[in-house]
Amino acid sequence: MTLQPDDFWSFSQWLLRPGAFLESALLQGVAIFVLLVVVGIMIGYVVSAVRYGPGEAFYAVAATIRDLVTRDLPGTAFRRVFALARLAFKEAIRRRVLFVVGLFLVGLLLAGWYLDTSSDDPARLYISFVLTATNYLILLLALFISCFSLPSDIKSRTIYTIVTKPVRATEIILGRVLGFTAVCTMLLIPMGLASYLFVTRGLQHSHEVVKADTENGELIVGETSYDRSHSHAFTIDAEGNGLTDFARGHQHIVRKVGDSFEVGAPIGDLRARIPDYGDVVFLNRDGLEDAAIDVGYEHTKGGYGNAGMSRFFGKTLGARRIEHGYIEGGTLCAAVMRFDEISPAKYGDGLPLEMKLRVFRTYKADIVTPIRGTITVRNPENPAIESEPISFLTKEYQVDERRIPIEIKGSDGTQTRTLNLFDDLVGEDGSVEIVIRCLDRGQYLGLTRSDVYLRPSESSFEWNFTKAYISIWLQMLMVISFGVMFSTILSGPVSMIATFMLVLLGFSAEAVYETRYYLDRGEAMGGGPIESLIRTVRQDSFTVELDIQELPLKIIKVIDNVAVYSLDAIVTSLPNLPKMLGTAEYVASGFDIFNVLLLRHAVATFGYVLLAFIVGYFFLKTREIAA
Amino acid sequence: MNRSSGLRNKLIYMAIIVGMLLPLYLLGQPATGKPGERAGQLAQMRSELNLAEANLGEIDPASESMKLASLGLRGVAATLLWNKADEYKVLHEWDRLSATLNQIANLQPHYEKVWEHQAHNLAYNVSLEFDDYRQRYAWVKKGMGFLTEGVHKNRTAPRLIWYTGWFYGHKLGMSDEKTQFRELFRKDDPFHKELLDEGIAVDGPDARGADGRPDNWLVGRLWLNRGYDLVDGGVKLVDKSPITFFEIGPKWRIQYATAIEEEGILDDRSKDAWERAADDWIGYGKRPISTTDMFSVQLSGVGDLHVRKAELIARFDALVGDTAEKMRQEQLAGLSPLERQAIDTPEKDRTPDQFKLAQQANLKLESNAVVVAKRAPQAVQLKAIQLAAEISDVDNRISKTNIYRDQMNYGYWELRCEAEQDDLVIDARRLLYDAKQLYKQSDLDGEIEKYDAAFTAWAAVFERYPGLILDVASDDLSDAIDRYRIATDLAELPEDFPLKSFYEMRMSGETDPGSVASEATSGAGTGDGPNFNILKPYSGADDKLLPAIAPAQPVLKKPDSTEEEPAATETPAAPSEGTDPAANPEPVVEGEQPAVEGEQPAVEGEQPAVEGEQPVVEGEQPVVEGEQPVVEGEQPVVEGEQPVVED
Repeated sequence: MTLQPDDFWSFSQWLLRPGAFLESALLQGVAIFVLLVVVGIMIGYVVSAVRYGPGEAFYAVAATIRDLVTRDLPGTAFRRVFALARLAFKEAIRRRVLFVVGLFLVGLLLAGWYLDTSSDDPARLYISFVLTATNYLILLLALFISCFSLPSDIKSRTIYTIVTKPVRATEIILGRVLGFTAVCTMLLIPMGLASYLFVTRGLQHSHEVVKADTENGELIVGETSYDRSHSHAFTIDAEGNGLTDFARGHQHIVRKVGDSFEVGAPIGDLRARIPDYGDVVFLNRDGLEDAAIDVGYEHTKGGYGNAGMSRFFGKTLGARRIEHGYIEGGTLCAAVMRFDEISPAKYGDGLPLEMKLRVFRTYKADIVTPIRGTITVRNPENPAIESEPISFLTKEYQVDERRIPIEIKGSDGTQTRTLNLFDDLVGEDGSVEIVIRCLDRGQYLGLTRSDVYLRPSESSFEWNFTKAYISIWLQMLMVISFGVMFSTILSGPVSMIATFMLVLLGFSAEAVYETRYYLDRGEAMGGGPIESLIRTVRQDSFTVELDIQELPLKIIKVIDNVAVYSLDAIVTSLPNLPKMLGTAEYVASGFDIFNVLLLRHAVATFGYVLLAFIVGYFFLKTREIAA
Repeated sequence: MNRSSGLRNKLIYMAIIVGMLLPLYLLGQPATGKPGERAGQLAQMRSELNLAEANLGEIDPASESMKLASLGLRGVAATLLWNKADEYKVLHEWDRLSATLNQIANLQPHYEKVWEHQAHNLAYNVSLEFDDYRQRYAWVKKGMGFLTEGVHKNRTAPRLIWYTGWFYGHKLGMSDEKTQFRELFRKDDPFHKELLDEGIAVDGPDARGADGRPDNWLVGRLWLNRGYDLVDGGVKLVDKSPITFFEIGPKWRIQYATAIEEEGILDDRSKDAWERAADDWIGYGKRPISTTDMFSVQLSGVGDLHVRKAELIARFDALVGDTAEKMRQEQLAGLSPLERQAIDTPEKDRTPDQFKLAQQANLKLESNAVVVAKRAPQAVQLKAIQLAAEISDVDNRISKTNIYRDQMNYGYWELRCEAEQDDLVIDARRLLYDAKQLYKQSDLDGEIEKYDAAFTAWAAVFERYPGLILDVASDDLSDAIDRYRIATDLAELPEDFPLKSFYEMRMSGETDPGSVASEATSGAGTGDGPNFNILKPYSGADDKLLPAIAPAQPVLKKPDSTEEEPAATETPAAPSEGTDPAANPEPVVEGEQPAVEGEQPAVEGEQPAVEGEQPVVEGEQPVVEGEQPVVEGEQPVVEGEQPVVED
């Protein structure tokens, strides 16, 4: 899992973006809110004006706003909302939405057909699958049940049985949203439990011991049977307790009981690490601070979505994506990670350092031996105080877990002696630097800020899994709100399409941003929708100049620009669904979903729910006005 | 619209739908099996063209359900997944890449190119992204497994089987990590079990290598043989030239023999391997290969064709009598005086102008058999024309056969198989191998001594088999001489150095051994040391050069039928289960091995990193096959029909 710049933001950084307020979530939220409310009022005015003329319409709209502020909002009663929510709940149940759980279970039953059991990390694959499947299914369900309810009530005129009672428009909308949310939540819980069972049961397995030899008269080394496309080597100490090596993301406890061996359940595959990330600085061949060496293509894969409202001012920024930075071996190249808040209370047993490095070889060298690197711990305030380099053999694509001891040999700048981590290496401000170097000349080690971290504690997998479901729940709530909002003014199918388009655009935001980015820069990357359609039909590569007469070409480009810039504005206004879906990645990769990330998603969700509620209110009032 | 008109419309729509479905049903209805009843046209065509799912390959419920779930948009779905797979590759999300490829394959199970392309992607491109060679091996296996899955789902696709066999040989046996890969494969018991379940007899003598464990080259050959059986059974070979299709199986036996020799097995086992390789290669030569013309050729049949041509010419000459001579006299009479003078002048005395004139004149004097036949006496004219046509046909066949032989370098490999069975060559290789081992042990004197003996032996080899001078494998010999020069601190090789001419030829980049051989016979190597002349026919080994090596007769078995597999001879006894062949890679050969050899590790990484500076070129290279013979070595072998996966 490679984290991106905005993943590291704290809640206040995300909300306010100090130094870059245009990118702040608060500004974006307020702007969208104001814009949509204004648009909502204008639509209401236009519709009303058509019916009653401009003068009457003005009063009608003003009355609506007055009603909202003075009557409907203050007068909204939870009792009535609850009653309406119960109605919506019952109605949804009558529509047999519970079948969705059955559908999900069938999907789980058949999942074995599609999931690769010989995968290097089956836990990751299983978790990704269940969370993604649940996510899409529940969003689809939310879409269906939220869009058809109100329109069918209006069409069948059953709405009059409600509106003739002392029920406010705010209560109708809130009641629907809460009712549908309750239904979906009721479905989400069994789906979550089934998913959990699927993952834990699916990964459960054991082995037999097929080979065991005694070494040095004490240690027993051996090998387990080959099951589930893997086997383990193990070592058992003199007391009969042992552990296997890591294979496919897990290991087993092995015990010698009498003359037989017991191999335990897999451990280490379902984790929720709580990492402490540091800041990274790369040094070039001369040991000077510089950008890291780039040997990949990661920059071609998006990273535009964290610019907020700043994208509406001037030209868009390029993709702000964290790529793997590489350090060259046998030179002064290094990655210097600075970690804060290092204290004996937090790290009493030493620094639990975990690394997941990449390797880039420019020549094959010794094939059997992995690329070598070193870890040096040093005092950020006085870099002359540093530990001796701790050498390691790179375990590419695997998490290399190490513990840096509190007492460590090193130099205090004048002599070599045993250094104390907290007394010598941690600075006055509680920070410490960890320097990673590659030893092999001409070979490279690659990392990002999120690839080297300290792990002071660990959360439970079950709670992390629940957090992923909370993230799904938030997305669901958002879709229900939009569905209900559209259904207040559009017919069922149309509001479903409108909501679906919002979701689709939310998921496709990066593609839109990227298209706009290239239009801004004037780079030929296939153009907007019309140009790319023409190129597709004519099978023209995007590098070929479009062979069309000047005037039609100009018209196409203008239409394309309008379309792309409008889409860009729309997707910027939409919730960042891919980011919310991305929480599944944390669970799958064995990392605790950051609480701050969940909080950000929750705040954003409630912001959009509020927005949908207000706009929905105006829409509903518009219908009343128009009627 | 009132209620009755709504109902009426619905009924009309229903009737239209039923009306449209009816012909579809009639066209597609399957045969009921009742006499006299025929299946619908579509069902018949599906049966005739073997397009029914059950005919194409195994029916996979996962694949079928995915195809159904995509609601006819599987092409679109596959395209989206393809892009997704590309994205995962960029982001190094290997597990997800693999899972996505499985989904693509489920959607388009009968699209052979997808299997080929993505199997190559996994085995060649993804595997090399891993630093740990064991993980690389796992991903090569994943690529091969993907291809095997493709074979299951496309039972009439010999190309896929061919590629599977290709991967087992080429990727496991020719990569930079070939030492490690081959070793991992040998010990990969779970994989062997999978192969056994697959029907590949990895426990049989045709799959087991010198240490009694399955060898990647031989297992690859078994896969290829499966494809050959399919084609021989009547399945059409599409998008694959038969000459390259049938070449690789025998070539893998050659590669196996080469590989075990490189690993230090230079005894009866390597001799046996070469004997079997020769059997396969001759079998390949006798296999009728269809050509772009209307006839097939046999690569080893060119001699028979020449005999046949000579017979036909004799019969033709007897039939037409002196017609040809008369025509020649007439044509002679038609030559200009200068042309006449030119051809009458002996070749060595001709001036440049006369040389040209003689060429022109000879062209005029050449008589086509058909032309001669038309001038033959009336009574025999028809028969003569028939014979002339037959001569022309045989000429075509000879020409085509020679083109194909050159393309496959058939003669060279035939000679190589013959020569490598010779004890002389085996001993020469062993001496060279021993010298390299002593170098690794830093035994300088022993190394030089072995090199001296090795070079003398190699000189004898080249004298006996001049064609081997151009052998790519003799590059090692040049390297060995370089090493020898360093070891002996020689700035220049002495005049009596046994391989002086060879070395000079190599150093000069000369590709024509004839020119160097001429130098060798005319001046170079005139000292006391032995010399060789690649133009001179073999006349027996110079015993003076070979004090310890008895000349051996090459054994080149010629099986009666090309269709028969070479008889499975007894494979040398396998080491006991769990024995690490790497721990004792050296064969024990009658007292000639140095006592320390058993301690030599065979694993590349444990040796001094002499190969360290080689750039990694394998992996992302397009694999191209084709005209040049597939030879061992680290360089990528190129194949024309392989999809270019990566630039």
